[in-house]
Amino acid sequence: MKQWFLNLPGPMPLKIAIAVVVAIVALVVLFFVYDWIGSNLLDTGGTVG
Amino acid sequence: MDDATAPPVEESATPSRGTVTRAIRAAGWTSIIAGLLILGFVVQQLFVTTWFAEQHQVALEEEALEHFAVAEVSTVQYTPAPASGTGTVIPGAGGSTNDDDIPAAAEPRPILVESTAETGTAFAVIRIPKIERLRDGWAVVEGVSVRDLKNGAGHMPDTPLPGLPGNSVISGHRTTYGAPFNAVDVLVPGDLIEVETALGIHTYEVRELQIVRPTDVWVTDPREGAWLTLTTCHPKLSSRQRLIVFAELVDGPNYEAIYT
Repeated sequence: MKQWFLNLPGPMPLKIAIAVVVAIVALVVLFFVYDWIGSNLLDTGGTVG
Repeated sequence: MDDATAPPVEESATPSRGTVTRAIRAAGWTSIIAGLLILGFVVQQLFVTTWFAEQHQVALEEEALEHFAVAEVSTVQYTPAPASGTGTVIPGAGGSTNDDDIPAAAEPRPILVESTAETGTAFAVIRIPKIERLRDGWAVVEGVSVRDLKNGAGHMPDTPLPGLPGNSVISGHRTTYGAPFNAVDVLVPGDLIEVETALGIHTYEVRELQIVRPTDVWVTDPREGAWLTLTTCHPKLSSRQRLIVFAELVDGPNYEAIYT
């Protein structure tokens, strides 16, 4: 992780900005994955048919 | 001993200490990341979705109140079914709209009906005094799509609206998105369920609970009289089965017209 961060292009502020953007995108993707799993496996809302 | 005459060192068949250490470290990090992902899933499903649903509920309850004020309420003639079948007039209430199909003449009587809300909008509030979560009410939206049910309980289209003859079906989450129907398994025959719509407050009495398969669509079939059917996932934290609550109208604006 540290190595990945240090390998990001540009000066330190740019590295930090890129890392923050990547983290936010990852969290959003993770949220949708969780939501899909939950809505399809854990609790579909109780509809029939 | 001279290096030139020393016997060659045999390569060890077992992994070096460094390799083992790296493998253990990788396994440790993998376990930690997997644990965090699972923990994140649980937190997101049980708490984040509920937080969102509760935020939506505030707006939806206001939307339902607005619907009560602006919904078009009118009177139609309802003809109760004689011995079998269901009455007429109400779409989705079953039976036929052709009066010739009614074997015995039954007195038509006026009942109140309301205009159907747009899909995804709140048009009713369900209250179950026995269940804490539903004691103060939970908004019911029109529609049972994934999106609809994230916001509130959902009324299944093509079934009558609550308070009308037939079988009105409302679905809701059991463990996520506010879990409005989390505790419906505590209901027993005789418990009361109230549904407030633009017509007024309709009171239903629980008659029966059943556990069925998700494909058992017969639970939504039309019924004689006026019924409310609640459907939710079963058991908790699983969508393997459905818990169904059948309740019959015992009081409300249309009760007299439907049952007398």
